[in-house]
Amino acid sequence: MAEMSVIWLRVAAALYSLGLLHAILTLVRRREHLFRVALGAFGLGSVFHLVSIVEEGIFRRHCPINNFYETLSMCAFLVVVLYLAAHFRYRLESLSVFIFPLVFVMAMVATMSNPVGAWSSQVMRKTWLTTHIILVLLGYAALLLTAGASILYLFQERELKSKKPHTFYYRLPPLGTLDDLISKSMAVGFVLMTLAVIAASTWAFIEHRRAWIAQPSIAISFFTWGTYLALVFLRTAAGWRGRKAAIMTVTVLGLSALTWVAHVRLGTILKP
Amino acid sequence: MKLLVTGVSHKTAPVEVRERLAFREDALAGSLADLKGREGVSEALILSTCNRVEITVTTEDSTDPQAVVDAFLAERKSVDPRAIAPHLYHVEGRDAIHHLFRVASSLDSMVVGEPQILGQLKAAYCAAKAAGTVCGWLETLLARTFRVAKRVRSETGIGLMAVSVSYAAVELARKIFGSLAGRTIMIVGAGKMSELAARHLRRSGASHVFVTNRTYERAVEMAALFQGTPVEYGRFVGMLPEADIVITSSGAPEYVLHKEDMQRAIAARRNRPMFVIDIAVPRNVEPSVNQIDNVFLYDIDDLQEVVNANLRERMKEAEHAERLVAEEVDRTMARLKVAEVAPLIVGLQEQLEQIRAGEMARVRHKFGPFTPQQEEALESLTRGIVNKIAHGPISELRNHAGQPEGAHVIDVIRKAFHLQD
Repeated sequence: MAEMSVIWLRVAAALYSLGLLHAILTLVRRREHLFRVALGAFGLGSVFHLVSIVEEGIFRRHCPINNFYETLSMCAFLVVVLYLAAHFRYRLESLSVFIFPLVFVMAMVATMSNPVGAWSSQVMRKTWLTTHIILVLLGYAALLLTAGASILYLFQERELKSKKPHTFYYRLPPLGTLDDLISKSMAVGFVLMTLAVIAASTWAFIEHRRAWIAQPSIAISFFTWGTYLALVFLRTAAGWRGRKAAIMTVTVLGLSALTWVAHVRLGTILKP
Repeated sequence: MKLLVTGVSHKTAPVEVRERLAFREDALAGSLADLKGREGVSEALILSTCNRVEITVTTEDSTDPQAVVDAFLAERKSVDPRAIAPHLYHVEGRDAIHHLFRVASSLDSMVVGEPQILGQLKAAYCAAKAAGTVCGWLETLLARTFRVAKRVRSETGIGLMAVSVSYAAVELARKIFGSLAGRTIMIVGAGKMSELAARHLRRSGASHVFVTNRTYERAVEMAALFQGTPVEYGRFVGMLPEADIVITSSGAPEYVLHKEDMQRAIAARRNRPMFVIDIAVPRNVEPSVNQIDNVFLYDIDDLQEVVNANLRERMKEAEHAERLVAEEVDRTMARLKVAEVAPLIVGLQEQLEQIRAGEMARVRHKFGPFTPQQEEALESLTRGIVNKIAHGPISELRNHAGQPEGAHVIDVIRKAFHLQD
């Protein structure tokens, strides 16, 4: 991508990051504190995003959809435009929890087309990777807690629906308590996973240069994060509970385990 | 000293007998003073509740406690001892301790695990304490009884499950929502049962009540009871999304809430759970409502089934509680036996110290005076010898206290050391 085009896209991604912050605050505090600010930043970001696309088109002399990064940038821009149009028509605040983080990550990845310089030091390289691993492990722990609580929710829900209390009814916590635990651990897990994905993307970008995105392990990571985002959205916006939410949570947990397996050799980099 | 517990309970006597023997609260102090004043009675306690009248006394060994209590009841309550004898139970010693522990732990109650009995026993203790009729051994035993009851309540789930239909509804609501704080109730049909259920839910933290009824004035009346909001009957279905708990008890001959109504309500609530309590007969809510995700529908039979399951669970917990009580009785008996041999141990130590002091005086007289260092060495030497001699018999006394062969061992040691009874 053209240098200036990437700079405009980075500005747009920075503005979109306010949307991510809004989504995080909505999940953790369960209140939409920053929506107006994030929406404003989203709109402004879309202007810079458009400038980036136009700049790239003029530079390349064709519609900038010729490689993965250009296509991703265009796709993110279209999502932004469609969301803004839909929001002004239908007031879809709840959808922002899904759209804002998605657009931010898409724009962030799209900015990583031009290779940057190599690591300034090995310490920085290893510290960055360690930070990513710690974040992702904390995220897995929170996700495991979410999955465990979801399964207990299923058992307790079944007891209550059956109307014939057995052992689980007396031993398990109330549905409300489990639901609260699921929401909180899922939100914390999502925040940690998102930060881990950002840390991992930038690390892989510097480490592998342009080839980073072609790695299957990276694709698996983004897919897992995407399903986690969908889970978070379905729970917060659509109010998914019980069986459907439990199945989805266990699926995300399974994908996370797969992602872990795909990255199992990463730890060897940290060996002295 | 003897310990006797005697009385009548719901298990042994009909209410006609229990009410004749009951003690009014204002007459309790006088009755306790009367009982304590009788010959041979050391301490007295009277427990009088709607399900039991029970007298606990400690007396001197020479006194027949049952005869004393029979005479007391005959005089105080003007009852023929022969007439009430078939209904009276009386337990002594270890059995009395076991009985007290079971009563306090609510294992002997009409509804096993109910919490009131412990409060009633504590009130009886306070009355006896105020009257000065418990002040020693019985007071220690009662303190232990309260500890045992507390242990049973905390280590078993005997009091956790609701055993009435209205409390079962509250318990289910808690199982669904966790805390009821801030929850909204909608009452459909302003009947007595729904009022009672709503009252329990409100007391448990539910914050707002909507009331709807075909006769709007009745809805206004009931809403006023809960500082709630009356809702016109034609509008209540539209307000369902605001309600976490719906109680229906209208006299309508057909369903007033259908599956489609609840599907719309739960969608509007974005799947936040709803608890629907249908206590009407014929039922007000279409049974298929329970098939909707996040809607929990209970009719009157379902609630009764929960109560039955809770009772079965309580009985399981009661078995565990019985084991705890038996263990506590054994422990108490062992402590009592050790306490029994305590005077003998003190006597033995005093006897040996007396011999040591005498021998020291004799040596001082014959070989003294000694220097302070010599005095110290002799004191240390003789005390060491005495302690070593005493160690064996004291250990034996402690080990055999409460054992079947204990009396023989105690007797042998008493004779060997010429100790007084």
